[in-house]
Amino acid sequence: MFLHNLKYELLTALRTKDMLLWIILFPLILATLFQIAFGSIYEQNTKFSVIPAAVVSGPDNENFRLAAERVSDSGEPLLRITDTDEETALGLLKNGEVYGIFYTDTPVTLTVSGKGIHQSILKTFAERYNATAAVLRETAASDPQRIPAVLEAISAEVTACTELPVTEGNPDPYIQFFHNLIAMVALFGTTTGLHICTQNQANLSALGARKCCSPTRRSVSIAASLTASYLAHTVCMVICVSFQAFVLGVDFGSKLPLVYLAAVLAGCMGVTMGFFVGSIGRVSTDTKTGIVTAVTMTLCFLSGLMIGNIKAVIAAKAPWFNRINPAAIISDCFYCLNLYSDYARFREKICMMLLYTLLFAVLGICMTRRRKYASI
Amino acid sequence: MKQSVVKIDNLVKRYGELVALDHFSLDIHEGEIFGLLGPNGSGKTTTINCLLSLLSFDKGDIQIFGRKMTPTSYDIKQQIGVIMQNVAVFDELTVAENIDYFCGLYITDPVKRRQYTEEAVQFVGLEDFLRFRPKKLSGGLLRRLNIACGIAHKPRLIILDEPTVAVDPQSRNRILEGIAALNRSGATVIYTSHYMEEVEQLCTRIAIMDKGKKIAEGTKDELKRMIRNTETVTIEILALADDIRAEIAALPHIYDTAYDGSRLTVFCSGGKHNLIRILHVLQEHSVSFGRVYSELPTLNDVFLEITGKALRDKGD
Repeated sequence: MFLHNLKYELLTALRTKDMLLWIILFPLILATLFQIAFGSIYEQNTKFSVIPAAVVSGPDNENFRLAAERVSDSGEPLLRITDTDEETALGLLKNGEVYGIFYTDTPVTLTVSGKGIHQSILKTFAERYNATAAVLRETAASDPQRIPAVLEAISAEVTACTELPVTEGNPDPYIQFFHNLIAMVALFGTTTGLHICTQNQANLSALGARKCCSPTRRSVSIAASLTASYLAHTVCMVICVSFQAFVLGVDFGSKLPLVYLAAVLAGCMGVTMGFFVGSIGRVSTDTKTGIVTAVTMTLCFLSGLMIGNIKAVIAAKAPWFNRINPAAIISDCFYCLNLYSDYARFREKICMMLLYTLLFAVLGICMTRRRKYASI
Repeated sequence: MKQSVVKIDNLVKRYGELVALDHFSLDIHEGEIFGLLGPNGSGKTTTINCLLSLLSFDKGDIQIFGRKMTPTSYDIKQQIGVIMQNVAVFDELTVAENIDYFCGLYITDPVKRRQYTEEAVQFVGLEDFLRFRPKKLSGGLLRRLNIACGIAHKPRLIILDEPTVAVDPQSRNRILEGIAALNRSGATVIYTSHYMEEVEQLCTRIAIMDKGKKIAEGTKDELKRMIRNTETVTIEILALADDIRAEIAALPHIYDTAYDGSRLTVFCSGGKHNLIRILHVLQEHSVSFGRVYSELPTLNDVFLEITGKALRDKGD
């Protein structure tokens, strides 16, 4: 009986047009728009790229060229040098084709336009070159035999700090929008959950009344409906994560299987939340759908779906809210999975989701187990 | 005496101050097509919902197949087929899937279920629409699907709550013929409607309800005998003097007359030759008249006289 119910409940869930539109297509479109909007911001602003610079020849041209070539031809080139005359170099600088002009006088001078990380790097390079050249000149004048030793000392890289990566995952802060999008899809499961209540309660729909007249136990009918909704929503969650990861190329870090697991559990929490809301009172399904959609979008907004730093603001002003907001719990789950190498916080978030799911399921079942209605 | 299939005893159901069922009792026997007749709001659907244990009630007792009916009486529910007033099918499933789903709630053997589903499809004549979704079906076909979902498991007791509302005459006839066929195959049928002619055509016994009370019960003939009217004579007359009308009203077995300027209606109670006597009076006074009708009382007349009012919202 359970399997018979499950088969048709699953067919019904998968054929529901609203599900196809709002839980599958809409998030895919939104994810694509997010990728277009945020996909390259981090790389453009944060990731290092070769700095174009012009060199205007002067007396110290040969030595400077040697130094510049060394940093330009390495595995990770720092500069892309263009040898030119002053007039052309100024033209390139004006057009933004180079960030600075090196004049190979003694000492080497630098002309830049504006401020920025690229200009700072060029300035540091010029300063370091001038300092090194000055040491060599002084050594040549006072004790020429020490020049090889000085050169060796200068060439040797002395590192006083050990560089440790902040995370093995993706440090792009814009990935939170994709995390929140998955949270939104998970919480869209509330509408599926609402449907379960509507179609199993005699006082909410003709179909519910009809089912209550059959010899199928209510518990079996609801269990089949819940299972079917979990399965259908799992399909939606897998499509959402897969589309982001494999089509849009969103980097979820190295723990993609756990991302899928978290997404599926989040979806189950969303469905159960809807089931719980659906079992409250006799308000019409349309009204309840409106309420859960508004609540879902508000929770997602407060977890940073629309404004990136709102979660940080809430964390500062009312940290307890982030701990109970289901959308924040889901997005935090992905955040922890991406940034932290240990699983303690991830486990904590997963436990919160399981707790919510259990709580909503028990409360929902307690409220729907009543078998007779005072009015229909 | 046939076995009692449904026994409702002294049922009381209140919605706040409103008494929906007021000490309502009923005894339906095996093999009957029992009609529950009444205007909108008379308590028919409330009775059915209480019968199916969907609604709680304040007082009374309901027994089906000799056992007390409760929400967990799964063995009793197994033998009941329900066709709700509102069509209750899945919009996302096809005709065949819907019937198979509902049949499967009662029949676990897949082979038997497939056979029953096919028989139900043939019974309601939906063979050409098996792959259609309900939204693609006309109102009549949708009602037939609703019926197929309710009867596919071959129940002993079939409850039909206004199954022909908003159905075209062809579909209605097919539905009524189908119900009669189900009854012939051994099912007891409870049929609620406010369409008098349907109930009169179909039901072997009828209860008339109003304001939650049973105001009459019996076979069609028994109900007709309960009212004063035995014959209604209607004559088309363009001009009728008051004294001639008074003379007709004074004839034996005539208890009322009505004249609207073109038609005289005479209500008779008993007597064998009322029409001849009326026509004789008209001929005596050389009153010219057109068409003449003599009608025996219908269930509608019974209803109007017993409830004392016109049908409410007929045809909705």
